[in-house]
Amino acid sequence: MPANPVEVTDARKAFGRVQAVDGVSFHVGPGEIFGLLGPNGAGKTTTVEMLEGLTRPDGGELRVLGLDVRHHASEIKKRIGVQLQTAALYPHLTVSELIDLFSSFYPRRVPLERVIEELDLGEKRDALTRTLSGGQQQRLSVALALVNDPELVFLDEPTTGLDPAARRALWELIEGMKRQGRSVMMTTHYMDEAEALCDRIAIMDHGKILDHGTVNELIGRRFHERAVQFEQLPGLEETRLAALTGVSSVKHEDGTTLLFTADVPATIGALLEVTESLGVEPHGLLVRRATLEDVFLQLTGRALRD
Amino acid sequence: MSALRALTIANIRSFLRDRAALFWTLAFPIVFILLFGTIFSGGGDTKLTVAWVDQDASPAAAQLRATFAQVSLLELKDEPLDDALTAMKRGDLDAVLVVPSGYADAIASAGSAGGSGSPLSLTLYTDPSQSNTTQTLSGVVQSLVGAQNQALSGQPPVLRVAEKTIQTEQLSSVSYFVPSILAMALMQLGIFAAIPLVQQREKLILKRLNATPLPRWTLVGSNVLMRLAIAAVQTVLIMAIGIVVFGVSVAGNLAATVGFVALGAVTFIALGYVIASFARTEEAANGMTSIVQFPLMFLSGIFFPLAFMPEWLRGVATAMPLTYLGDALRQTMVGGTPFVPLGVDLLVLGGWLAVCLAISARFFRWQ
Repeated sequence: MPANPVEVTDARKAFGRVQAVDGVSFHVGPGEIFGLLGPNGAGKTTTVEMLEGLTRPDGGELRVLGLDVRHHASEIKKRIGVQLQTAALYPHLTVSELIDLFSSFYPRRVPLERVIEELDLGEKRDALTRTLSGGQQQRLSVALALVNDPELVFLDEPTTGLDPAARRALWELIEGMKRQGRSVMMTTHYMDEAEALCDRIAIMDHGKILDHGTVNELIGRRFHERAVQFEQLPGLEETRLAALTGVSSVKHEDGTTLLFTADVPATIGALLEVTESLGVEPHGLLVRRATLEDVFLQLTGRALRD
Repeated sequence: MSALRALTIANIRSFLRDRAALFWTLAFPIVFILLFGTIFSGGGDTKLTVAWVDQDASPAAAQLRATFAQVSLLELKDEPLDDALTAMKRGDLDAVLVVPSGYADAIASAGSAGGSGSPLSLTLYTDPSQSNTTQTLSGVVQSLVGAQNQALSGQPPVLRVAEKTIQTEQLSSVSYFVPSILAMALMQLGIFAAIPLVQQREKLILKRLNATPLPRWTLVGSNVLMRLAIAAVQTVLIMAIGIVVFGVSVAGNLAATVGFVALGAVTFIALGYVIASFARTEEAANGMTSIVQFPLMFLSGIFFPLAFMPEWLRGVATAMPLTYLGDALRQTMVGGTPFVPLGVDLLVLGGWLAVCLAISARFFRWQ
């Protein structure tokens, strides 16, 4: 059983009077994609940068690939891949020149052709980096994280500012890293991204980790019910809905009705009986479970989006 | 490929592809030197002051003097030879022409049939570093003496001009300028190092590099190597223009010139790092390089000798590192008058380098 590539116990970091990271503990398991989810300013980047050897922790124990970040930063840097939140590139170099340059910094190197092919940058290999689109720049900055064939890759907000197609392409790349046996630790403030990609998630806010686990664990821990959702039917009285089998509460939201229930099949059956007797049909019928958004809302009392 | 080599090549590529950087470090000094060189080497309406040393004191010699005095370009001053040579070394005279004793006899014997013996030499002292003046004078004197020979219808010629060179303390404006412009270009090359550094820090390129195992000395080393390579190109270009376009002889002490070019470049790169230590944004870096650049440029005696400055300003100039780089290059390239001995130039530049390195080591931030 290989050791965890990242082990963090009670990490702390303050900038002046701001306690950016306030005693966080978590681990990243071998071969997993671990996501740090939280709003901007939650302390995600500071946490990652302490692990990358860019920021010195004030306290706690942080081990990367079994090595203490305080004493073995240069050894760690050789074996990890890093993508920083703001793509930092030499504007006057071409894609292949930049990849070559970064390769030269590492003792262990992946051939240029392989990196370019994997990242699908072939068409742009001779283009100056400043002429690349946002998505291409982001792919290039991920490519630079892979030039040393790292065991562990840190990705800080890898899809921020990308259009849906570019995001989707990057998700595939990240899943590819996992297939190649790399461990990935990423930060994001997108719920859907964390849900789609991450094996495990830690929810972070105000420098603290509020909860962590798989998506199902995080939701299941606090939401046992699911919601039956359909377009609001004017003739249907609220009292009749509340009386349906299994329904614990009824909510109306943006023209839809939500029936919260612990027993979805029974509730749907009962609902259809009622609507049939009234001669109407519920449109847009679907079953919704709670989302990470709901988890975040419950943990922090506010929505993640803003 | 080693990281140092790769990074140096990347820096050079970035530099070559950045038109603005290319203009300010290569084109600007060239435009400068062509412009000022043309203005200062023109000097059309200034007269050439020539000492007239008459050792014959004969009517014939006086007649020759009258012929020379008709040339509007020349201003003649009668002086004994010793005084004249001293004055010329001081830079008060452009040339000295000596009419030796025996001139009247030589003329007289030419008149008589079968004038014999070797021709009599008139000696013209000029300064080779003043190439324009020297060429003009030598041409004027040769043609006047030639005319005199013909008038005497002497065959073989009775008179000839023996040219002697003398090193004067006054450099022609252009030969003063060439080392100055090189010093200025090296200064700009060095302190402009601050701008890409601050840019790279702002754009988090330095931070990104810091996330790799690349040692910091390699990063600094590659920047210095890149700028030294450009310094070499600047030196060759500026010297070539000095030689080819303005005929300045810059073949002084080449090894010492190269040494001071390198020391000067490194010292001003260190000053660039000092600026980058305190400038947080690219705009601030631009402003600070200007603030440092202009006083250095105009208060360093690189465009006019310190002797021309008022006393209080000379104190400021004496503290400027560019004063010493200009002085050292002027001495090693064109044999200019020392402001201080070369050893002092070396010490002062070395001192500035040490101070700048200490400040940068203390205050420079990578992110």
